[in-house]
Amino acid sequence: MRTPLAWLNLLHERTRLLVAIAGVAFAVLLIFMNLGFLGALSLTATQIYSQMNAEIFLRSPQTLEISTTEPFPIERLYQVAGVEGVDQVMPVYVGYQQWRNPETRLNRAMFVYGINPRDPVFRLPELQDSEAIAALQRPDTVLIDQLSRPEFGPQTTGIETESDRRRVEIGGQFTLGGGFASDGTLIVGDQNFLRLFSPRTLDRIDLGLIKLQPGANIEAVAETLRGMLPEDVEVLTQEEIIGRDRDFWIGTTSTGFIFSMGVAVSFIVGTVIVYQILYTDISDHLPEYATLKAMGYRSRYLFQVVLQEAVILAVMGYIPGLILSLGLYELATNATNGGLPMAMNFGRLVFVLILTIVMCAVSGLVSVRKVITADPAEVFS
Amino acid sequence: MSFLKHTPLAWLNLTHDRRRLLTSLGGVAFAVLLIFMFNGFKNALYDSQVQLLQLLNADIIIINTQKNNMFVPEPFARRRLYQARAFDGVEDAYPLYINTANWKNAETRTTRPIRVLAFNPQDSVLRIPEVQSQVSKLQAPETVLVDLQSRPELGPITPGVETELGDRRVRVVGNYSLGTDFASGNGNLIMSDQNYLRYFSQVNPEDEERDLSTADIGLVKVAEGADAERIAATLSENLPKDVKVLTLEGFVQQEFTYWQENTNIGFVFSLLTAMAFIVGVILVYQILYTDVSDHWAEYATLKAMGYRNFFLLGVVLQEATILSLLGFIPGFCISVLLYNATADATGLLMRMTVDRALSTLVATFVMCLISGAIAVRKVQATDPAEVFG
Repeated sequence: MRTPLAWLNLLHERTRLLVAIAGVAFAVLLIFMNLGFLGALSLTATQIYSQMNAEIFLRSPQTLEISTTEPFPIERLYQVAGVEGVDQVMPVYVGYQQWRNPETRLNRAMFVYGINPRDPVFRLPELQDSEAIAALQRPDTVLIDQLSRPEFGPQTTGIETESDRRRVEIGGQFTLGGGFASDGTLIVGDQNFLRLFSPRTLDRIDLGLIKLQPGANIEAVAETLRGMLPEDVEVLTQEEIIGRDRDFWIGTTSTGFIFSMGVAVSFIVGTVIVYQILYTDISDHLPEYATLKAMGYRSRYLFQVVLQEAVILAVMGYIPGLILSLGLYELATNATNGGLPMAMNFGRLVFVLILTIVMCAVSGLVSVRKVITADPAEVFS
Repeated sequence: MSFLKHTPLAWLNLTHDRRRLLTSLGGVAFAVLLIFMFNGFKNALYDSQVQLLQLLNADIIIINTQKNNMFVPEPFARRRLYQARAFDGVEDAYPLYINTANWKNAETRTTRPIRVLAFNPQDSVLRIPEVQSQVSKLQAPETVLVDLQSRPELGPITPGVETELGDRRVRVVGNYSLGTDFASGNGNLIMSDQNYLRYFSQVNPEDEERDLSTADIGLVKVAEGADAERIAATLSENLPKDVKVLTLEGFVQQEFTYWQENTNIGFVFSLLTAMAFIVGVILVYQILYTDVSDHWAEYATLKAMGYRNFFLLGVVLQEATILSLLGFIPGFCISVLLYNATADATGLLMRMTVDRALSTLVATFVMCLISGAIAVRKVQATDPAEVFG
């Protein structure tokens, strides 16, 4: 068995090794945090669609995202209802209202969904019971999202306040979350939507939900719909509509750019840290490396030793970095009251591990030149 | 001048191995860069929100009591401005109308919502020279000035382009430079109040009709030498409570505070900055630790010669200071380049100001001091007998 030279070199000076690992761990942590923030923002921007009870969505091609919609005729939804594989179609109306906090009397923009009370538009269990449906049917009654910001005021059932200067009563609560478009959400019955948003009408809808029969082929039905519907509506599967909204928000708010830049800069800093460690190590052991060369070891062997050191550093830094980030993910989620749902996923784990190994390998390759060019005669002269 | 008589030990230690010094400076520079970038993003997101407000040509602002940020579309009665004009020290008061309409990209025919700023071309509402020199062009019907920093999705915006705004014909007659913010994600148009009536007095049932009897922001100019704060207080006291009176500064601060309290921007970037700081401490520690290890024997000799721990501490801290200063300079230069690149790529308002640069310099210095203080323990524990034993 060979002497584990890379391992022994690193272990030679414990304190330095610890600092090196800490350096790599923090670079890894920074990369994880940047990716985590980006992921959390993408998730909040689109989680509304995964709460909707539909496989296929209809919306105007001019619609940018859930809150900047262009209404389209409800006939498009009726046209779809008869297609094979379609179980149910449901219209959704959206808009903003100025909601008055009943305590402070201050207004704040509230996002409102208008639905037919009997349609199972949202998967939320709170909306399925008869009490919630009855509340949606009562005039001037609204359901309020418990995740709305505290600035909107108390949310107890029975509280009366004003929405766009119209008197409304809170008829119940649900838990949904608003995403980028809003920090407060209401759900109202379509008749109440008409009252609140007069002079809007119900024959122009903002979003069409299409629920398929169990076992229906989503892609095939979507394709059929694309073939039969005119160009004033777009047919999107759930995955597609989530992708569209996410791309819109990530682009508009420059979040994509900012956090990718964060990852890039953290990567470079990590590379510098590892380079410094390997460089110091090589300088300190230059006579030994030269001796090895004089003994007949090839440059390739020395090359391998340095690369091995790099990979060991990568893995040893990655593990504490990962553990720290999991802790910080939890902390950030709690500190923002769920506003930033930071969650780790397998793809990110692998991606960052590869990134860390590349980071260390690049540093290894840069620092190894000194060994390769080492001339035994010169070192000992 | 006892300082000059001493051998500059810290300096000689650092410059002893040139290549290592370069790597060390690279390390500090990158830590500085990290701090600058995360801070820069945070400031850019905040600054963008208030840049339009800062360009309003007013000393005092009148808004609807409910308008606690630019997203609240509550207008107020324009007659409040006429009332305001009657007060002592008020020289002029004029309205700014704000609304959103769909802009059609002249090439792709897709639409994007865009914010419209409208005012009487006779009133000097915005402190933007390009706007002031071009307002006369806005007197023709259906004409607008378009922000050059609008998002590219708006399509061609050069003067002469004809397209649609809110399903009505519109002609671009000029450009200016402002930038986007969260309330106007795609950009800003400027038009005359008369054109504003054309576009917004008759709209779809989904939107609210507007005319000139209500304004969104009231701009008040005070007479030269008058105390804006005192006049604002008088106005606030005497005008009906359906409007709020703020100094321009107070208005900007209100918007700033809103974004600070209602978004996670501060949290996200402060956390990232804090981590960048820790990375910097580790980097510098690494450098100083290596240096101390390499010169251990020399340090021990100094101690054997009678130098106190205090002196050795001084040497290491001097090294830390030199590193922080020398590393800051390249870090600062790269950051300025990256700020410009980011601004070009995203339209974000990346501003490097003197106090931001100074506070980062202080952070860098503290970072190096912390590392120095940790690294020096090894020297202090040095026992000459042991080293040579």
